[in-house]
Amino acid sequence: MEALNPSLPTTHFLKTPLLRSTFNPQLHFLFNKRTPTTTLSLSISCKLRTSQQDVKNKSQNVSKKIALSDSSPPPLKNEEASKPKVESSSSSKGSVVGFMKRLPRKVLSVLSNLPLAIGEMFFIAVLMAIGTAIEQGEAPDFYFQKYPEDNPVWGFFTWRWILTLGFDRMFSSPIFLGSLILMAMSLMACTYTTQIPLVKVARRWNFLQSPEAIRKQEFSDTLPRASIQDLGVVLMGSGYEVFLKGPSLYAFKGLVGRFAPIGVHLAMLLIMAGGTLSAAGSFRGSVTVPQGLNFVVGDVLGPSGFLSTPTDAFNTEVHVNKFYMDFYDSGEVKQFHSDLSLRDLEGKEVMRKTISVNDPLRYGGITIYQTDWSFSALQVIKDDEGPFNLAMAPLKINGDKKLYGTFLPVGDVNSPDVKGISMLARDLQSIVIYDQEGKFAGVRRPSSKLPIEIDGRKIVIVDAIGSTGLELKTDPGVPPVYAGFGALMLTTCISYLNHAQIWALQDGTSVVVGGKANRAKGDFPDEMNRLLDKVPEIVESSISKQSDGISSG
Amino acid sequence: MIFSTLEHILTHISFSVISIGITIHLITLLVDEIVGLYDSSEKGMIATLFCLTGLLVIRWIYSGHFPLSDLYESLIFLSWSFSIIHRILKHKNHLSAITAPSAIFTQGFATSCLLTKMHQSGILVPALQVQWLMMHVSMMVLGYAALLCGSLLSTALLVITFRKVIRIFGKSNNLLNGTVTESFSFGEIQYMNAKTNVLLNTYFFSARNYYRYQLIQQLDHWSYHIISLGFIFLTVGILSGAVWANEAWGSYWNWDPKETWAFITWTIFGIYFHTRTKKKLEGFNSAIVASMGFVIIWICYFGVNLLGIGLHSYGSFN
Repeated sequence: MEALNPSLPTTHFLKTPLLRSTFNPQLHFLFNKRTPTTTLSLSISCKLRTSQQDVKNKSQNVSKKIALSDSSPPPLKNEEASKPKVESSSSSKGSVVGFMKRLPRKVLSVLSNLPLAIGEMFFIAVLMAIGTAIEQGEAPDFYFQKYPEDNPVWGFFTWRWILTLGFDRMFSSPIFLGSLILMAMSLMACTYTTQIPLVKVARRWNFLQSPEAIRKQEFSDTLPRASIQDLGVVLMGSGYEVFLKGPSLYAFKGLVGRFAPIGVHLAMLLIMAGGTLSAAGSFRGSVTVPQGLNFVVGDVLGPSGFLSTPTDAFNTEVHVNKFYMDFYDSGEVKQFHSDLSLRDLEGKEVMRKTISVNDPLRYGGITIYQTDWSFSALQVIKDDEGPFNLAMAPLKINGDKKLYGTFLPVGDVNSPDVKGISMLARDLQSIVIYDQEGKFAGVRRPSSKLPIEIDGRKIVIVDAIGSTGLELKTDPGVPPVYAGFGALMLTTCISYLNHAQIWALQDGTSVVVGGKANRAKGDFPDEMNRLLDKVPEIVESSISKQSDGISSG
Repeated sequence: MIFSTLEHILTHISFSVISIGITIHLITLLVDEIVGLYDSSEKGMIATLFCLTGLLVIRWIYSGHFPLSDLYESLIFLSWSFSIIHRILKHKNHLSAITAPSAIFTQGFATSCLLTKMHQSGILVPALQVQWLMMHVSMMVLGYAALLCGSLLSTALLVITFRKVIRIFGKSNNLLNGTVTESFSFGEIQYMNAKTNVLLNTYFFSARNYYRYQLIQQLDHWSYHIISLGFIFLTVGILSGAVWANEAWGSYWNWDPKETWAFITWTIFGIYFHTRTKKKLEGFNSAIVASMGFVIIWICYFGVNLLGIGLHSYGSFN
């Protein structure tokens, strides 16, 4: 109501994005009751320090200084800075040696650059998005038609782009794999140069001896007329590990929250290594086997990479004892089952299992999945002769709607226009029978054994023989990948834990307290204020008495 | 039959209750602080939660499998997740302005005529008949719900930071101004039109700036926490999905569109956490990343289903 004139607030808010960062300490100012001038200078010094650091950092102020001076590499240069050196290094030998010594560090520092890592992640995300937008794994002709040169998508995107960049097989294209490798290298470099030093600092870094250093923390406060022992007790009461040495105190909570990001990165690396092993060292193959027949595992499996080496288990023979389906009442397929027997070279059965979708068979590193099915043959008795096996042919396979058909010739087979009975089936459950004229004759279930009369011929459908579609694979990458999955889940959860550190120093009768947290930065001051409220105030006349009473009680 | 009738009734009750609740919610904010009305809107949210829970349980009993096998069921579950998040964050006034409309939005979409064909629960294809369904899909949907809430909060942060036109409405209470701002910005975000009609309280400049700053801090703080939670759910969901895929499809990763997009979502929120590690980039830049994440989650959740491609075609529209 007071300011209906919009121009005033507008001008004010235009400034705010700039002001925002410098406002940050002003919140502390409100908590800390300090003079505005000191907070402003503090914020400037903070900014300068952060701008110097390209390494990924979670800590603030003082511990950062240590990370720089002790263990982390010198401030980073960007990629352009290292490139001219490569050219100049060829000119003189001395500089080559010096450069070779510096090179690993240079590469490391470039790789552990946070903006670069973020850029890589974006790039990979964009590539993956493109990979789902463009149809994958089609023949070149498909792309010629879909992305023609005379009518390019968005004015420039044609099949040339797709085929040159390998986007038709995005997830195995050199660009994608290369960016993944770069990502892995960044992960390693970041873990080595940034995260591990941070943990070292967090673990080693203990007591702060000067009140100024403590006041520089993200949160700081001064408690007049308090004792550091009382603070220690209060902190211990809320789950902190407390260390006291003379007048100074150090306390921390949730150190594991510092380790967890390293764990996340290592888990990612483990998954990537496992994925590489999967790609380079696995065998795959699929086979369609009619019920009652068998195959040798090694004949089906084909190597996928240069590390693929066959094992003894490849000589195993698989026999399909039975293939059957479960149906819902509505007639739709509920589940597929294949009863498999595994036999070794001597023909001895080593394993038998009924597999289904979601329930594969595992033997000696080989996994056999139930993936598909098909109609192999129809067993028919004609006029009490037979049974004959009529091979079923797939007529139309459109997604999951399968249709199979067969033909039972009637009369003279050698005549030019042979006629017969047609039988069609969608699944193994019911067979639709048409007579010689193509008229519908009836439906029979193989299980019913009910004969059907067509032109005086009695036909009994004895059995419907299905064939099972199996997929076989060996994948040495699964154990490391699963280990990585487990580690990733665990460490992601642990990363959520807050690592809080608190320093305090007895300064005369008052206690200077400072602290910081790597997560939950907004909560930390509130929590600190709550804790500090619990610290009892010592009435000046009886300092010694009061503190004795508290420490004994 | 009795089941489907009951289900029908519950769907409509929950939708009506939630609409009324939100209307009341907005009225309390615009007119004045009427405690009684605010309470009733909260009660409405509780009633909605019960209705949705009942709906899911009935569907479970009726169909005999965990009710997450198609898009309709997962939408219901999504709005249920929003109500749960709403319950958990009930003390945070301005957060409920994100969760409650999210719930109504998904609920409304689920019950809208667009999807009526899918309302009857179908049968489960063989690959879905396993306990992994419950683990994987519920984790994914919970993750999506939390990430959507978190990224909406981040978008609200962006809107507040970047807003140029300010319109001032009546005398709204300073504590509630955040709620008002976001209730409106929520609607705008849905239509990707985040520039108009945002309310802000008028106070003398420094005080207003202080509240604004505090609001931004709170938004940042809560979006970070909710996104962290959602990220954990998403991680568990993707990884359990990978383990399931290794049981059912023969490989733990197939570069199927749905899982690729889930991975893109994961990467984007990974970027979000990395932008936050740098003090300079915290808040504002991470909010930009999070609002990108909002769009990407919707692509992942709906876009891929709309196309109905890949192995995850269970939830497609036809």
